[in-house]
Amino acid sequence: MTLATSEASRTRATGASLRLAILLFVADPQWLVPSTVAPIVFGLVSFELFRGEGPYFLTYAILGAGMMSMWGQTLYGSGWATGQDRNLGTLEPTIQAPTPYLYVVLGRIIWNVVAGLFGGLVVYLVVVLAAGGPPQLPNPLLFVVLFVFVMVTLASVGVVFAAAFVYSRYAGFIQNVGEFAFYIGTGCMFPVVLLPFWTNPIALLFPPTWALDALRYVSIPGYAGFGWGWGWDLAGAVAVTGVYAAIAGTVFTRVERHVLETGDLSDY
Amino acid sequence: MNDDLAIEVRDLVRTFESRKGFFFGEKTHTEALKGVELNVGRGAIFGLLGPNGAGKTTLTKILSTLLLPTSGTVQVLGHDVVKDTSWLRSRIGLVLGGERGLYNRINARENLRYFADLYGIPASERDRRITEVIERVDLTWAADRRVEEYSRGMKQKLHIARGILHRPEILFLDEPTIGLDPKSARETRKLVRSLVVEGVTIFLTTHYMFEAEELCPRVAVLSKGKIVANDSIAGLRSRVGGDRTIEVEAYGFEDREIDRLKGLPGVSKVAGEAFGPLMRLTLRVRTDDTTPETVQGLLPGHPELSVRERRTSLEDIYLDLVEEEAQ
Ligand SMILES: Nc1ncnc2c1ncn2[C@@H]1O[C@H](COP(=O)(O)OP(=O)(O)O)[C@@H](O)[C@H]1O
Ligand SMILES: [Mg+2]
Repeated sequence: MTLATSEASRTRATGASLRLAILLFVADPQWLVPSTVAPIVFGLVSFELFRGEGPYFLTYAILGAGMMSMWGQTLYGSGWATGQDRNLGTLEPTIQAPTPYLYVVLGRIIWNVVAGLFGGLVVYLVVVLAAGGPPQLPNPLLFVVLFVFVMVTLASVGVVFAAAFVYSRYAGFIQNVGEFAFYIGTGCMFPVVLLPFWTNPIALLFPPTWALDALRYVSIPGYAGFGWGWGWDLAGAVAVTGVYAAIAGTVFTRVERHVLETGDLSDY
Repeated sequence: MNDDLAIEVRDLVRTFESRKGFFFGEKTHTEALKGVELNVGRGAIFGLLGPNGAGKTTLTKILSTLLLPTSGTVQVLGHDVVKDTSWLRSRIGLVLGGERGLYNRINARENLRYFADLYGIPASERDRRITEVIERVDLTWAADRRVEEYSRGMKQKLHIARGILHRPEILFLDEPTIGLDPKSARETRKLVRSLVVEGVTIFLTTHYMFEAEELCPRVAVLSKGKIVANDSIAGLRSRVGGDRTIEVEAYGFEDREIDRLKGLPGVSKVAGEAFGPLMRLTLRVRTDDTTPETVQGLLPGHPELSVRERRTSLEDIYLDLVEEEAQ
C-alpha cells in the first residue's frame, strides 16, 4: 500500500466515524434532552452564583457554565464512545480493520466538539435571557475564536481519555473519579490561580488551562490570571496541544499493543 | 517459510493472567494454548474442531491479529502476525459472530458502509460492493432495517457480510453456527461453502464433528490447548478401521464390572457417560471375538441391561481424541 492511499483511508476513516456518530445520534435523539437541560441548569446556577460580582459577572457566568457543559460533551463524550464500543462488542472489529483506531476517535471528537458548542450556545442564550441583555465583551470576535480554541484543547484531552478506554474497561471508573478534580484543576469553573500554588504546574500540563486563561484575558478587562498575558497563554496552549497531537499516535499504538498482550480487548 | 501455506504456527503458547475485580480479587493464570503446531494450505476450508474451552477462539484471535502470542511464531499468508499487523489486517476477514459486534441502532447498509470506509474500499466501488455482499448473504430484503430488529441468524449473516466486504484472502470464522436455529445454521454453512469457490482460504472453528465433516476436507482437533489430530476427513475415518462400538446401558455399574469389560479381548477403550440414573458405557472393540452376547454374559444381575452394537462414527473418533487428552 502506498503512503498516499493509506493517508486517504485515514481521512476517510475519520469522516466515516463522524458520520457514524451523527447517525447514532439521529437514531437515538433522546439524549438531546439531557444535553439541553444540563446547560440550562448550569447557566441559571452560574448566573445566580456570579450575580453582582462586578461589571463582568455575566462573562464569568457564561464561561463557568459553558465550560461545565462543554466538558461533558467534548471530553467525557470522547472516552464514552470508546467505552460504548466495548459494550457493543464493536471495538474488536474496529481494531481489526487496517485503519489505526486514533482516526476513528478523531471523527467522534469532531462530533463531540460540535455537540459541545451547542451546549455553549444554550448557556449563552440562557444567561443572556436571565440578565435581560448580552454581556459586555471588549472583543467579541476574539472571544468566539478563543472559545472554539478552548474546545479544541478539550478535545485533545478527550483523545487521552479515549486511549484510556481502549486500555481498560475500568477507564470509566477512573474518568468518573478524575472528572471533578480535572474540571477544577484546569480552571473550568474558576481561574486556576485561585487554587493552591502547587496545583498550577500540574494544571499547565493540560491544554485547556492555558486556553481558558487566554479566554478570560480577552473577555474580562483587569483579569490577572497567570500574569503573563494572553499571547503567552495562547502560545502555551498551542505548544501543549501540539505535544498531545504529536504523541497521540504513539500512545494509541502502545495502548493497542498492550491490550493485544493482555487480551482485554473483548472485556466489557 | 512455505509459500503454499496460508497459516504456519510453530510452538504457539498463549497464557492469560487475569484478576477478578479491579484492585482486589484472586489472580488466575490460564494456559489457553500449550505449544500449538499447525500448517494450513491455501484455498480450502480448514476446520478447527474442539470442545468448549479448548482454545479455538484464542487461536483464531491470534491468527487474526487481535491477540499477541505469549511465545512461538505465527505466520499468516507468509507474514508474521506480530510484526506485519497492518499488512495483514487489510487481507484478513474475521467473523467472531454472535449477538454483539454490530451497531444495533442503524441499519445493515450503514453498518457495512462504516466498515467499508475503515477498510479503505475505494469510494467509487463502495456502494456497489455493499449491495453485492448484502445480496450474497440474502439480506437484501432487510438491508434498510435497524440491526436491533434482526434475528440471531440475520445478525450472523451480516457479520459474514462484513467479513467478506473487503475481499480478504483468508477468512476466519469462529463457530459460525453456534446458537443458530437449524435452518439458519444450514443457510450459514451453505454460504460458507460458496465462498471457497472464489479462492478464499477459510479457517473455521466448530465443536460439531458433523459440521466439520460437511464443510472441511481437512480438520485439526484442538483439546485443552493442544492439537491432538490433524488429518483429512478420510484419514480420520480410516482410524475407525475395523473398529466396532458396543453400547451398554444399565442403572449403574460396579468398578469390577467395568474392569472385567476392559479385560475382554480386543477392547481398546471403555468410556462412561451418565444420563440421570442411567449409565452408558461405550466400548471400542478391535476384534470380532467380543460381541454383544459376550458382554451380556459378563453382566448378570442387571434387570434393565441393554447391549447393542452400532457403527463407529466420526463423532466417536472425535470424542476419543478429546477424551484421551483429558486424562
Ligand atoms: N481474555 C481471557 N482472559 C482469561 N482467560 C481467558 C481469556 N480468553 C480465554 N481464556 C481462557 O482460555 C481458555 C480457552 O478459551 P477459548 O479460546 O475461548 O476456548 P474456545 O473458543 O475453544 O471455547 C479457556 O479456559 C478460557 O477461560
Ligand atoms: Mg470460542
